[in-house]
Amino acid sequence: MWRREIDGLRLTFHLAGINNQNFIMRDEETGTYWQQISGAAISGPLKGRQLTLVHSDELTLATWKSEAPQGTVLNDVAEFTSDYAKPDWDVRMKRAPTVLNFPGYDLAARDLMLGIQAFGASRGFLYERVIKEKLVKDHVGSEPVLLVVGADEQSVRAFRDRIPGIEGAADFYRITGKPSGALLLDAATGSEWNFQGCAISGKAKGLCLEPVPMLKDYWFDWRNYNPKTTVYGK
Amino acid sequence: MTRRFVFTLVLLACLAVGLFCVAYPIYVIRPFRHQGARELAVALVVTRFRPAITVIAAIAAVLAVAGYWRVKARRWKRVLTAVGAVLAVVLAVLARVNVYELMFHPLVHPSFTAAADVKLDGVEKVVAVRVGGEARAYPVRSMSYHHVVNDVVGGAAIVATY
Repeated sequence: MWRREIDGLRLTFHLAGINNQNFIMRDEETGTYWQQISGAAISGPLKGRQLTLVHSDELTLATWKSEAPQGTVLNDVAEFTSDYAKPDWDVRMKRAPTVLNFPGYDLAARDLMLGIQAFGASRGFLYERVIKEKLVKDHVGSEPVLLVVGADEQSVRAFRDRIPGIEGAADFYRITGKPSGALLLDAATGSEWNFQGCAISGKAKGLCLEPVPMLKDYWFDWRNYNPKTTVYGK
Repeated sequence: MTRRFVFTLVLLACLAVGLFCVAYPIYVIRPFRHQGARELAVALVVTRFRPAITVIAAIAAVLAVAGYWRVKARRWKRVLTAVGAVLAVVLAVLARVNVYELMFHPLVHPSFTAAADVKLDGVEKVVAVRVGGEARAYPVRSMSYHHVVNDVVGGAAIVATY
């Protein structure tokens, strides 16, 4: 997700091509071509410019609705509905061929990764492994991060593992079955934290962890645009 | 070198330019083919400039054929050069078409439904953003078809991509 304004000029994007199975966008105002995954202008008058990232989360609709009951959802476009992804879309995509392969990490080209590009480093986390572990405490660069699986056991968010005002990394534990929606407990303040990364009880109540942008992507695509990426657990 | 030969040469050159401008980007930027950085850069530059280049080539081709027709030549050769000029014009038209932009349907004027009124199943995946206090969700089932949604959320112009 990107802001679509450059120097006050609002851009309108179209899908205009493909670059090793990551699509290329064209803005109709300047004719510049942009890489979808990086938001970088790769050809045209704005070549070298960069779109600003908008933080996004991939969640289940139920989880999102519980957090944003006043929100709005993109409508289907009737004439294309029959072409929308079917429930087995993930499975079918997993079988689709790729033009890039990066052996060496024991990962298949279409393994789904959660990628974090932050703090001067890139790190990939195998989605299935994160779902299994439910709470991942790790580092990106030298910064401690948390990957937290939601109560729906499908949605994942990443946070900087630092409680504002508390020195060092917090010591978080996963808790379940709380009617309050708490998913984490930290040893430093004894507070309970929800899936949005906010303390809902204890000394830290009212504080929120800093969200870390994370991209769900296929391994080949993540590795192609993050050649120095490291991989959690590898 | 006869004038007829020169006109023929100009026509063939114009056709070659037009064909290259139309075919090269399609060849390079096609699905399930590895795109090298340099060839992709060239293909995108060609794509950007080909509308103008192919129009110039088409005009030059038509002028060359007009010149050819003034010189005494067999009828079938005249017809052949006319076909060449038509082909140059067709290539100029095709150069204005991006196959991807025909195939895919990004949303420029999206519409939305309140979360409470959405009929989709709760397990459906969505890509969610919150900007300026406004929350928006884009279902993966439709995003994986449209890929690009030009939107305004919380007063900020954003492009949702998937």
